[in-house]
Amino acid sequence: MKNTIKVERAKKNWTQAELAEKIGVSRQAIHAIEAGKFVPSTVLALRMAKEFGTAVEIIFQLEETDLV
Amino acid sequence: MEKSKKHLSDRVPVYALIWAISYIGSLGAMKVLSLSQAVSVMLTIVPVIAFALFLYKFYRSVYFMDEVQIKIQMEAAVVAFGLALLTIMTLGLLDLAIVLNQEDWAYRFLVPVFVAYYFIGLFISRRKYHIDHEEHD
Repeated sequence: MKNTIKVERAKKNWTQAELAEKIGVSRQAIHAIEAGKFVPSTVLALRMAKEFGTAVEIIFQLEETDLV
Repeated sequence: MEKSKKHLSDRVPVYALIWAISYIGSLGAMKVLSLSQAVSVMLTIVPVIAFALFLYKFYRSVYFMDEVQIKIQMEAAVVAFGLALLTIMTLGLLDLAIVLNQEDWAYRFLVPVFVAYYFIGLFISRRKYHIDHEEHD
């Protein structure tokens, strides 16, 4: 699963810590999600999309390896 | 609310320290001093209570963790539990094969080993999620 969190953050000029605070997680969690090391729950992904004011599919996309 | 969450998780290491001190203290007192059986049993209960308190606080702090933190703790516990079982199994079988020196392999010495297993699990899991080498921006 790839994501565009870094791009979306740059658009809003938010740091990882600021995004983390807005969606109620730790900065380490944002780092792990952004690095693709952790796939967030649906609730967290939707919360993130809401903060960015975009659709969840824009932030998270399946990769070739994720397809069955 | 945020403040109370932080306050709760900050206190967990304090309770862990209280347990460790009470355990080492009880161990030392029973080893060095010639105490009656009743006093020794009472000294055994002190670290048990301290650990129960620590476990309760730790369990409560998990409720306030985020998804990544919960997964890291869960994986650390899985590693620690697996290694603990492996140790018990190996020592149990070895005890049948060769007579182990109880002074070296008593249960009390397994406690710090199991704690070390948890930290090994924590280290592995934190590395897996890149928690230890994160970039700040």
